[in-house]
Amino acid sequence: MDTIHNHPDDELLASYSAASLPLSQALCISAHIEHCDECDQKLKRLNQVGSQLMHQLKPSPPSADLKNKLLDRLDSITEDPVKEQSGPSDSSVPRCLRQFIRTGYQDVAWKRISPDIHSFELCRDKNNAKVELLRIKAGGTSSTHTHLGDEYTVILEGSFSDEDGLYHQGDFLVRNSSRRHTPVATQNSECICLAVTEAPIQLTGLFSRLLNPLIRRGYA
Amino acid sequence: MLNLVISNEIMAGTVAQKKSSSEQLALLKDCIHRVATQRDREAFAQLFDHYAPSIRAYSLAREPGADLVADELAQEVMIRVWLKAGSYNSRLSNVNTWIFTLARNCRIDYLRRNGLFASEIDPTTIFEDIEDDSPGPFQLVHQDRLEENIKTGLEKLPKEQSEILRKIYLEGKSHQQASEALKLPLGTVKSRVRLALKKLQVLVPR
Repeated sequence: MDTIHNHPDDELLASYSAASLPLSQALCISAHIEHCDECDQKLKRLNQVGSQLMHQLKPSPPSADLKNKLLDRLDSITEDPVKEQSGPSDSSVPRCLRQFIRTGYQDVAWKRISPDIHSFELCRDKNNAKVELLRIKAGGTSSTHTHLGDEYTVILEGSFSDEDGLYHQGDFLVRNSSRRHTPVATQNSECICLAVTEAPIQLTGLFSRLLNPLIRRGYA
Repeated sequence: MLNLVISNEIMAGTVAQKKSSSEQLALLKDCIHRVATQRDREAFAQLFDHYAPSIRAYSLAREPGADLVADELAQEVMIRVWLKAGSYNSRLSNVNTWIFTLARNCRIDYLRRNGLFASEIDPTTIFEDIEDDSPGPFQLVHQDRLEENIKTGLEKLPKEQSEILRKIYLEGKSHQQASEALKLPLGTVKSRVRLALKKLQVLVPR
């Protein structure tokens, strides 16, 4: 696998470790971490920060009978069987996405949004962020767009490039609202991404051909 | 004679207080081991006595005054300890951190089930990786040492930096919410988190 060069920044990882991120963003970071040992190790350290903060709080002892009630219940407690329903373990789908994708990307009800791009909406988060899979065909290009909110992207398969660089499986990107960009899938394979957009994408449509040097170089 | 007994007890108390944190960690680990292998209820009761007050405090940090919620979280986490003690690997993971990840995951789960964090996304699978302790270069020796460093580091941190960490980790606030609560620009919140992590040297590879 190619080395991962694009990671969530440390303060975002800290919020993930604290579980204080919107779940849609947490989903992207979780998918990245499954591919990235470096961030996984950082996370374990950040969890220790959380642990220390929690254990330094002034303890608040429970009433005396809470423990006894729990001890009485112990024998009747069994593991929640619902947990085991996630997909087959050999699936290339990250674990955190198997709640939406049971088997593989091929069985998803893809919706065509342009000749080059298909999408599949996984869900909406409570802040109305859209969580979707995007499939860009080999050599295909997405229209130039800007965002009203931040866009988080994790590459699940294949690779793509935009004005700023080339990205591979596991890479994690944040594009904020002030930026205009045009993702292009590389020529040899299609690209599948997880994308979370905080507000609907704003297409810059007609201007894209004038504004985008990649298209002028003949990628389109 | 009576005096002697009392002074012995006082001595025992002082010794217990001075017991180094590594000894205490070893004791707690042993309790988890006994729960895992012998379903030892007395060991479980010890773990409860040690951790339930911190778990309740963690819950109250997010929802001040919500005493019943705090009780429920403490019970929920301790049930996970009872069920998952067998999957806890004491050679690879710091026991306090394990409890923190369980508490964090239970709290997020609770908030979602009760509509306070309404989302179509199930957080269970997002965070479950974090609980299991795949062997990595980051071994227990490092973790226990890092725990000590973080403990002393947190005390030396400028107040405004530790305050931000508490907002995020304990009150569960996003950067945006922290910036609103503290009336600070978003950029300042982020840079304070970054500075705090740098000072704590958590992310410096060793």
